[in-house]
Amino acid sequence: MKGYLARHAQVLVATLGQFARHPAATAATILMIGVTIALPTGLYVGLHNLERLSHGWHRGDGLTVYLHRGRSDARALAAIRRLPGVRAVRYTSPQKGLAEFERRSGFGKVLTVLRHNPLPGVVTVSLRGASPARLHTLAATLRRLPDVGHVQSNRLWLERLNATLRLGRRLVMILAVLLGLALVLILGNTTRVAVANRADEIEVIRLVGGTDAFIRRPFLYTGALIGAFGALCAWALITLGLAVLSGPVQRLDTLYASHYGLVGLGGGSALRLVLLCAALGWLGARLAVGRRLARGRA
Amino acid sequence: MIECQHVFKRYPGGNEALSDVSFMLEAGEMAFLTGHSGAGKSTLLKLISLIERPTRGQIIVNNHNLGRLPPRRTPRFRRQIGVVFQDNKLLNDRTVFDNVALPLVVAGVTGDEIRKRVQAALDKVGLLARARSHPLMLSGGEQQRVGIARAIAHRPSLLIADEPTGNLDAAMSDEIIDLFRDFNDHGVTVLIATHDWRHIARCQKRVIELGAGHLVTAA
Ligand SMILES: Nc1ncnc2c1ncn2[C@@H]1O[C@H](COP(=O)(O)OP(=O)(O)OP(=O)(O)O)[C@@H](O)[C@H]1O
Ligand SMILES: [Mg+2]
Repeated sequence: MKGYLARHAQVLVATLGQFARHPAATAATILMIGVTIALPTGLYVGLHNLERLSHGWHRGDGLTVYLHRGRSDARALAAIRRLPGVRAVRYTSPQKGLAEFERRSGFGKVLTVLRHNPLPGVVTVSLRGASPARLHTLAATLRRLPDVGHVQSNRLWLERLNATLRLGRRLVMILAVLLGLALVLILGNTTRVAVANRADEIEVIRLVGGTDAFIRRPFLYTGALIGAFGALCAWALITLGLAVLSGPVQRLDTLYASHYGLVGLGGGSALRLVLLCAALGWLGARLAVGRRLARGRA
Repeated sequence: MIECQHVFKRYPGGNEALSDVSFMLEAGEMAFLTGHSGAGKSTLLKLISLIERPTRGQIIVNNHNLGRLPPRRTPRFRRQIGVVFQDNKLLNDRTVFDNVALPLVVAGVTGDEIRKRVQAALDKVGLLARARSHPLMLSGGEQQRVGIARAIAHRPSLLIADEPTGNLDAAMSDEIIDLFRDFNDHGVTVLIATHDWRHIARCQKRVIELGAGHLVTAA
């Protein structure tokens, strides 16, 4: 067991030494794989951030009603309260809405320039037992009220967003599978070239009694290590990308008085990514070297 | 140690390199395998070291029936024998030390044991001082001796050499043949392919002669 570990440690060190002797070629391969992996992983991270954002927006299953300006908000409010299925209403007057907007946006001074308050009165309606069908019916009824300007369903909008996000997730998955395949192929090809370059060495190792496992081992280590380094490279690229985006996002956050921020790849996900890419690299190398060793066996 | 029974070898698309060859070499014996160029000497040695497999017939080496040995057992079998190749087959990007260590490394020998055995082997062929050199920095005779050191590093009980004195001058060839005799004196079974009758006359050892793939003498 100790000898077994020692042998593997020896191959690991030799492989790293091999990298150090060809730094440019190794770096190019790692970068190529890093970019390949960064693509689906970056999309995944972006999608994840969007999902977080949409969770923040999930403010119940209500309807938002924008009233006509310059009519009686009180009459409209009373009409809405009388409708069946309405559980509670919350009214935001144009004055209150403006105050809120000034406070949040920091555009206070600019708005004093406007002579009239441009905002309508807003009523947030929550429902008793909000099935999508009831939501639809109520929205239609509300739209027919004379003082109501515009009705917006929070829930339908969210469902549309969620459906889009689901599609996005599926696309990321397809992309990840394709680029995972690309990773296997890239490392398979790199390994094939490396094996061809070392044909003499492989022949001699065989002649003096080296097993196929012994011949394979350095190639497998190379594949797995390049895969792992590629994943680390992708992680670095994504972290860099997030750092570049974090400034604008922070500004958005202050504008909306929110605190979403951006989340990158967590430690656990990064580790899983490294392990997965190491496994794919190993697989690519294994396929390539296995094909080569199957030839010329006595 | 080696037993060939009615061995035939036909290369794919070629003529018959060996036909109906039978002989026996006892453990501890030393013999020269001779014959004209193309007689089948290399082919026979390749069959014995399991680099090629016979078309027909049976070969038993060191109690292993080679025909019944599955491919995955080939490496373990090769570690029991030492082979000196006509073209050395040294790795030019590795030091003499690393070349000689190779059969030990593949057999899972580690650390100090490798160093001890490589030094012993290099000492035997008189190249201890060149351990750190690369093969291309050595003369033809020295390279041949590195090949011999590699063949004996793992202390095989059977040593096979294909034209080990190929391109060497008389003095150097004699030295190398004497080296093989020395191994034989220490109990190693030795089979050397050569077409240099001078060695055969000088050594008074057994001669196995091939002619056009047939056994001529096995006395
Ligand atoms: N790989 C091969 N494929 C086809 N034919 C081969 C192969 N190797 C050898 N032969 C043929 O088999 C015959 C015996 O060759 P072999 O190399 O065993 O002769 P040899 O006695 O070692 O000759 P030499 O003294 O020149 O080394 C020759 O006719 C040769 O052309
Ligand atoms: Mg020959």
